[in-house]
Amino acid sequence: MSTFTLYMQYIVNGITLGAIYSLIALGYTMVYGILKFINFAHGDVLMVGAFVGLLVYEALAGAAEPGMWTIFCFFIAMLASMAFCAVLGMFIERVAYKPLRNANRLAPLLSAIGVSFILSNGAAWIFGTTSRRFPYPFENDPIHIGGVTITPHQILVIIVSVAMMVLLAFFVNKTRMGKAMRATSLDQPTSMLMGINVDRVISLTFAIGSALAAVGGMLAAFDFRVYPSMGTMTGLKAFVAAVIGGIGNIQGAMIGGVLLGILEAVGAPLLHIPNGMRDTVAFAVLIIILLVKPDGILGKNEREKV
Amino acid sequence: MRKFFAVFLVAVFCMAGVFAGGSGEGDGDTYKIGFIGPLTGDNANYGIRCSNAARLAIDEINADGGVNGKMLELVAEDSEGTVDKAIASYEKLAYSDNVIAIVGPVFTSPALAVAQRCMEDGIVMISPSATHKDVTNQERTNPDGKNYVFRTVPSDSLQSEVAAYYFYQVLGYRNLAMLYAMNDYSQGLANGLEETFTSLGGKIVASETCMVGDKDFRTQLARIKSANPEAVYIPNYTVEDAQILEQGAQLGVGPYLSSDGFSDPMIYQLAGDYTDGVVYVGPAQAEASTILTDFQAAYRNAYNGDEADSFATNSYDALYILADSIERAGAEADRDAVRDQVEATKDFLGANGTINFASNGDLVASQGVYDVEGTTPVYVGAFQVQNGQIVQVD
Repeated sequence: MSTFTLYMQYIVNGITLGAIYSLIALGYTMVYGILKFINFAHGDVLMVGAFVGLLVYEALAGAAEPGMWTIFCFFIAMLASMAFCAVLGMFIERVAYKPLRNANRLAPLLSAIGVSFILSNGAAWIFGTTSRRFPYPFENDPIHIGGVTITPHQILVIIVSVAMMVLLAFFVNKTRMGKAMRATSLDQPTSMLMGINVDRVISLTFAIGSALAAVGGMLAAFDFRVYPSMGTMTGLKAFVAAVIGGIGNIQGAMIGGVLLGILEAVGAPLLHIPNGMRDTVAFAVLIIILLVKPDGILGKNEREKV
Repeated sequence: MRKFFAVFLVAVFCMAGVFAGGSGEGDGDTYKIGFIGPLTGDNANYGIRCSNAARLAIDEINADGGVNGKMLELVAEDSEGTVDKAIASYEKLAYSDNVIAIVGPVFTSPALAVAQRCMEDGIVMISPSATHKDVTNQERTNPDGKNYVFRTVPSDSLQSEVAAYYFYQVLGYRNLAMLYAMNDYSQGLANGLEETFTSLGGKIVASETCMVGDKDFRTQLARIKSANPEAVYIPNYTVEDAQILEQGAQLGVGPYLSSDGFSDPMIYQLAGDYTDGVVYVGPAQAEASTILTDFQAAYRNAYNGDEADSFATNSYDALYILADSIERAGAEADRDAVRDQVEATKDFLGANGTINFASNGDLVASQGVYDVEGTTPVYVGAFQVQNGQIVQVD
């Protein structure tokens, strides 16, 4: 295999990984954009999404041979999981964050960490701690293009992620509700004076972010398997992706995710260091980006409002 | 009202603590044996089976009237497979529970740490599964300079030596790649294999690492593919190996060689579609003895049809060796007397066959080779290296 195809292979793998990070990063970034607060329970919502998706999929598909029916089941499971997590996200916001909206900035952050523990320990209690496999809903025979190998599940990950991001971009930029969302993120008190129901916008933000996390969780489940602490590291990476891209910025989260995925896949071999240190490379890049451009790649230059 | 409830809760917890403390103190009618292993988390499968087997042995011994007229009691502590938790478990067992001996720790890194403490404090430790060569190579820091660390699992140095000879001389491989986790267990095996394999004239064409808990191995596998090895050695625990097998199959990398970590049947649940053709070197199977089949049946019976793995069998033997040693040490058995008797163990007949300890506490053993067909490991035989040649001993 030539060095070129080898690196093409790394990049294909990196993009798949990055697409998942992007989906999850969107949840962090949307919430931050509106509430200026990092929702550390987001990674665990992703885990819940993966479990719900797995349970629904197994209930529907059973031991069926992979085919059209199982693919259909997969998308039904995805919708169910999105719906469940959307409600869960709104519920968490209502119970754990809303009462603290005017409190010290640290209070909701700690509350989020608490929710994160409740979710992951709750899942460990209900489902046990061993990893479960998410079965492929189709024959997953690898496809070879030149010397580069890609599997159908990687293609699915990329297609679904792109579709979700296009839908989100359309929603935020073209719909009334999206406009309200953008307005709220710019200036909450003024939006309220303009007659925007800010509580509803915030609820909706959590619903959308959590639904995207559910999709991310299900897609991540193919490669990472499903287990109660799966959200911790994946969530952290997605958070990093959101910061790299410029937290609060939706396009930034998408770019940051893919960039982080590629960095992880290419970084260690490019620098000739052991692959066991790939996360070190990714996080070192985070530090460098923050030093050079503290607002992230697409970060908006935020001035203190007077 | 809320305040009252809180005070009430605190009171309940305090009382629970007092009662638990009360019953935990030894009362001279039992010999307490400690167990340290991962009982929760992703690797809990190893620890749970080992502690189950130890508990089964204790139940059998107690049903038979105990040892020296006293009952045995197992105090199992959860290490979660980490060094910190294992040391905390050790301190509880050694200083608070006053156990007479310890079975475990299950994993290598915790075993290395606990072995040091056992040497220092003079408590016998028998690990059923920690295979790193240094586990039995600790400084004898106790005043008498005696050895307190034993194991009922063969050392890595033996495992990787037999593996290298088998891969080179029997399978005829000359170019191998390795993908191993950065932990003591996997690194120990990989380094040992590399040393022996290259001394035989073979070549390691790619040596890739990962972290425990990694889920994506495609970068390493792509590099291994480009180095074009004849086979890939993956001496890791099941969760990592399952991912490697699956992603490796997708990238067209293989075949695979592995270590005793592969003897855990969970691998077939996690990656059953990809295990065909894997060859691994692990514990030699005992000649079919009634002790082994009885143990397996009793285990299945006691734990809802769960199958005992090789580590569980080692743990079962470790417990019986301890019981036997306590009995020989007599009614006044203390930690030192038990140590002397464990060391004096000779031709002990356990579920794994005849057990003897070398002077450093290592198990004297040959290694088994397994060839996986579909999801069934087929036993090829037991092998030893004699005068630079691999020899099948049974």
